[in-house]
Amino acid sequence: MIKVKNLQKVYGKGPIATHALKGIDIEVKPGEFVAIMGRSGSGKSTLLHILGLLDMPTGGEIYIENEDVLKLSEGERARFRLEELGYVFQEYSLLGEMTILENVYLPALCLAKKNNYRKRAVEMLETVGLGDRLYHYPSESSGGEQQRAAIARALINSPKILFADEPTASLDAASAKVVLELFRKLNKDSGQTIVMVTHEPEDKKYVDRVIWLKDGLVWEKNQQ
Amino acid sequence: MGNLKLALFLAYKSIIKGNRWALVLIILVMALSFANLILTPSILSGVTGTLDEQQVNTLFANIVIDPEEEKYYLDHVGQIENKIEQIPGIVRVSAHLKSNAFIEYQWYEKDSPSDRGKSGTWSVIGIDPSREVNVTMIHEHIIQGSYLHGDDRDEVVLGIEIAGGKGAQSSSFLTLEGVEVGDKVRFTYPNGVQREYRVKGIFHAREMQADRLAFVTRQEMVSVLGRQVFADRASQILVSIEQAGDESWFIEEFEALGINGEIRSWREYGGAVGGIVSSFEVITSLINGIGLIVAAIVMFIVIYINVLNRKRQIGILRAIGIKRNIVITSYLVQALLYAISGIIFGGLIMYFVIEPYFLNYPLDLPVGLVSLSIEPSTVQKAVWGLILAAVFAGFIPVLSIVRQSIIKSIWGN
Repeated sequence: MIKVKNLQKVYGKGPIATHALKGIDIEVKPGEFVAIMGRSGSGKSTLLHILGLLDMPTGGEIYIENEDVLKLSEGERARFRLEELGYVFQEYSLLGEMTILENVYLPALCLAKKNNYRKRAVEMLETVGLGDRLYHYPSESSGGEQQRAAIARALINSPKILFADEPTASLDAASAKVVLELFRKLNKDSGQTIVMVTHEPEDKKYVDRVIWLKDGLVWEKNQQ
Repeated sequence: MGNLKLALFLAYKSIIKGNRWALVLIILVMALSFANLILTPSILSGVTGTLDEQQVNTLFANIVIDPEEEKYYLDHVGQIENKIEQIPGIVRVSAHLKSNAFIEYQWYEKDSPSDRGKSGTWSVIGIDPSREVNVTMIHEHIIQGSYLHGDDRDEVVLGIEIAGGKGAQSSSFLTLEGVEVGDKVRFTYPNGVQREYRVKGIFHAREMQADRLAFVTRQEMVSVLGRQVFADRASQILVSIEQAGDESWFIEEFEALGINGEIRSWREYGGAVGGIVSSFEVITSLINGIGLIVAAIVMFIVIYINVLNRKRQIGILRAIGIKRNIVITSYLVQALLYAISGIIFGGLIMYFVIEPYFLNYPLDLPVGLVSLSIEPSTVQKAVWGLILAAVFAGFIPVLSIVRQSIIKSIWGN
């Protein structure tokens, strides 16, 4: 599903250049739930952003479903993100002026083919346990509820890969557990491929595999 | 859903759930900017309209027939009047017999012949009052006494700038320093004829050139200049027409009728006014340009602050796959909505508040009573100007944000 070869990311130039990724080679198979872990500054968020086409690497190659995604234009990358990828960010990332329901169906609005976007959004919100919060605004919802709504939004266009960047970092333990169990359920029940960055060691129990990063390199593979 | 629909949805949500006071404030600024874009040129247009009307109503009517080059007078005036008045659309024709006169007031109180006293030299026009009242409006500007009648022989009507006193704008020494109706004035014509007239009326036409004229009856002027020669002559013939603006057509008709003389539209005499009008147009453009820039800057600042506050949200929108041009369009739609709301609200202010106010309380300026003259072209320019300003002010801030990387938009690094 995802194949990464010699991925590099350098911030800045000359003597102040920071090598965030120094040559990453990884592979994620369809239906896998993979965690990227490592210390702060290890490059895990940078790797996730690049894999999710939110940022561009300095060098290397990324293939998603055998497509060389780094060769896509800006517009094509936006389309790819919309149709093939889903995101859950660390901080609450819902749009404040929209209801929970509108936030969820927004990505589906962009796709002309999704005529039943509203019905599907309701279904997605029911799946994440927010069937009774459709018309609430994010400011009227708890952190856990917002994060679950963000998951529903990420799934609305049936993405091939769901990326989550420390999705439980801002949540209390109970809400974090609900979110991680939801990921696990989506992965087991629907075969959803998930790539999640986390720094919580106990999150390992929810995932199939952990990719450890240290100083911009894959440090140890196939640990669980 | 099409890109435009999505942009409209984003704009709609942003406005509905955005800061209400900011929305009210920006629409108010747009409305006042729009009203200002119309108000200033409309006042100036009102001034030039008043000046034009005064030229027509007090000095030239619509069409002026002057003697041919190297001639002082038009001959066979009666025939000319009859010919012209047979053309449909002509209101009336009035022949003027002009002269100058040295006019004195209280001359009998002078100490010596060299004492200038209260005197001056002005133009005197002999008119047929029954015709003149259909050609110029001087008779409606009488502020003391009354207008001439056809058989008046020893009476004169003076402009306020000759009579002097209260209401005259000229310095006192340039007038007769306060002639009242009923007073006697002495006219000395270039041919040496001297007449004493009773002042029958004083007019204030608010047109400086007109207010420096004296009117006697044509009969009186003919008798002064010489009945044998001047009975059927005129220095100038003024023609009023029913529909202003048709002057060129009538001039061609007059020429086709074989009327001898220099036939011109009143506009050809409005050289000084034309200069003022051109100056006003330049001033109007400058004021409007500044008004538009101010409106654009205000909108720019409001939208820029709005965009900066939503920088993270714009980043999230782009992260979930919403294209840059949709985000840009949504902000352009917002800017256009501000502008259109401002145009509608400003238009209502103009139509229901400012214009009725000026109709009821016109500006009392030295040139006359000035109301607003709102021309369609002025409104069109204001509408397009404000829309363009809005597009510019909406486009630049959002472009600067969507050009940033998604990572920088969301996390600021």
